[in-house]
Amino acid sequence: MTIRIPVGPQHPALKEPERFIFYVEGEQIVKVIPRIGFNHRGIEKAMEERTYLQDLYISERVCGICSNVHTACYVLLVERLMNMEIPERAKYIRMIVLELERLHSHLLWLGVAFHEIGFDTLFYLVWRDREIVMDLLELISGNRVNYATNTIGGVRRDISEETKHKILKGMKLLLERLKYYRRLSPEEQTIVKRTLGVGPLSTQDAKRLCAAGPTLRASNVKSDVRGDEPYLLYKEAEFQTMVSDLCDVLGRILVRIDECIEAVRIIEWCVKNMPDGPIRQKLPPIFKVPENQAYRRVEAPRGELVYYGVSDGSEKPYRIKIRTPTLANIPALCKMLENQHIADIPIVVASIDPCFSCTDRLVFIDIEKGKKWSCSMPYFKHLIKKKFGR
Amino acid sequence: MLDAIITILQVLIFPGVLFAIILALLYEWVERKFKARLQNRIGPLYTGWHGILQPFADIIKLWSKEDIVPAEADKTMFTIAPMLALASQLISFLIIPVVSVYALVHFEGDLALLAFLSTVYLIAAGIGGLSSNNRFSAIGAGRSIIQHVGYEIPLLFVYASAAFIAQSWSLSKIVEYQVKTGVPLIAFLGIGFGISIISLLAFIERIPFDIPEAETEIVAGWLTEFSGKKYAFFWLADDVQLLVGAGITAALFLGGPCGPVPGIPIVDEILYVIYFIIKTVIIVLILASIEASSARYKITQAVSGFWKYLTPLSILQLLIVFALRLYGVI
Repeated sequence: MTIRIPVGPQHPALKEPERFIFYVEGEQIVKVIPRIGFNHRGIEKAMEERTYLQDLYISERVCGICSNVHTACYVLLVERLMNMEIPERAKYIRMIVLELERLHSHLLWLGVAFHEIGFDTLFYLVWRDREIVMDLLELISGNRVNYATNTIGGVRRDISEETKHKILKGMKLLLERLKYYRRLSPEEQTIVKRTLGVGPLSTQDAKRLCAAGPTLRASNVKSDVRGDEPYLLYKEAEFQTMVSDLCDVLGRILVRIDECIEAVRIIEWCVKNMPDGPIRQKLPPIFKVPENQAYRRVEAPRGELVYYGVSDGSEKPYRIKIRTPTLANIPALCKMLENQHIADIPIVVASIDPCFSCTDRLVFIDIEKGKKWSCSMPYFKHLIKKKFGR
Repeated sequence: MLDAIITILQVLIFPGVLFAIILALLYEWVERKFKARLQNRIGPLYTGWHGILQPFADIIKLWSKEDIVPAEADKTMFTIAPMLALASQLISFLIIPVVSVYALVHFEGDLALLAFLSTVYLIAAGIGGLSSNNRFSAIGAGRSIIQHVGYEIPLLFVYASAAFIAQSWSLSKIVEYQVKTGVPLIAFLGIGFGISIISLLAFIERIPFDIPEAETEIVAGWLTEFSGKKYAFFWLADDVQLLVGAGITAALFLGGPCGPVPGIPIVDEILYVIYFIIKTVIIVLILASIEASSARYKITQAVSGFWKYLTPLSILQLLIVFALRLYGVI
């Protein structure tokens, strides 16, 4: 007998509204049907209506956890549209905040993952350690969530000598804790029982279903935008891509802890090598961008984040397209959940580090004709052709 | 007449129902506070001294809430289940020795009655979950019963080992035996004590065996549809269950309420109660520290673990007891 279990849009295991329908036989899952679109906010459209500088603030609000990486990608995109160079010091500060954000995002996820398998003690301990990062971010930017550090042409706040010392001190403490979790996770029996071999995603499947970020790297695919197509100063920082050959939830835990350790190393490198100089190139609040098309990708904590922009010579962008990593990971997630137990649903869903508010897409439904379609690349190309004739 | 009144007061107030409820809520506070400190939290803080009245406040708040029965639920069963759960645990408490070597209710075979009452609690959970007509409740109830199949048999073997040493199926007689010989049974039943603690964790549905009410998987399991007064009943039943579980373990392995006493009537009884509280609190702290240092197992892992490891170990324990008897050690 197959029972249909709806999970979401409201469910204790999901922190954001999303619906999954599980068809189960006994305790085993036979089929999963995801349904996205509970949180669509029309951000891409809103960006077309505002000037480039105003869009910066909208892009910061695409995601609650990885807000800074969205602005980073957006400013990189606009700077490429304008063929603009930013001061060296600004690059270092951008990288410090980006990596601190990765640390906070991964630690948050680690806590949630432990909570999903019922290990509440580790959840509390990991979130306590995350406070070190949150305090540093507050010290640097004045905020705990939306840092508003990046701006077109540089960064808005400088890092003082005193702050540098505090960052180094915090990183030393955090490195110790991270090494402890790295040692503990594959050893503690109850964690291993719940995660080893759970939510398997083979290397071929991961490539075929276009998984992204730590989910992909945990399936033993060496792919990281920071290594493949270095932006800012990742080449100089000698960044290393972390992979795991376990292809399961434990692999994803280990990859993320390894990435945290790598992030700590990058932050220390940035703080030690930061040159003196200006932090931003001043621009007027309203400026025109020449007719151009550009594409930027950066590595968000959840995977590859892509911004594609078209400018038409005015002070507003003609089109901004955002592709977030969670959307790329959802087909892989459905594959992972096949033949798993009900008890594994929360940890497997959590293992891709879902951020549904960035994921949601608009679906057009023509009620009269019963037709359903969503925005796709050919549709945009068609629109661009209509506008520019090319 | 006077005897009858005293008996009724004993059953209702001390050491009966009221005492059990107050003690159970205090134990909940001990457990919550201790676990919170292990997890680097503060725990209950504002109600009373260090939040000691928090469980009482929670229960009173739940009592004052609206009584809701889901439209789809089987109303009779849905109402009976919480009462059955609390009643079974309160009756169990009367069988545990607290103020003297002998419990309020004691007869040959009361240990079997205790095992039966623990099953009654499971039945209450089962009918509560199934009658609420909710998918999560149904899965939770199913898991609860499957888990019971896992831990009941090793637990009964351990009871049997203790009963065999004391040559009696009465909990009070087992305590009496320990007082007579002056050696707590943990000396012979080391393995049994471990099995008993693990089974107790499964019985009171705490991490790593909180599978039937796993929050992140099936909301609250068989408790999902219960709210207000009915939930308060289950909450109290859960707390009394912890007290009863700790009480049985203390009585079987640690000599129950017994310890060195001067022999003056009233002072003896006060000391007995204090010994009982110390021993059971130690067991509650052991349970809480296990709870704080592990993740939740899956139902398949839990049951196969019980059958693969605990059942053979409990049979081994029984054989050890037979051998000790054979060579005249006990």
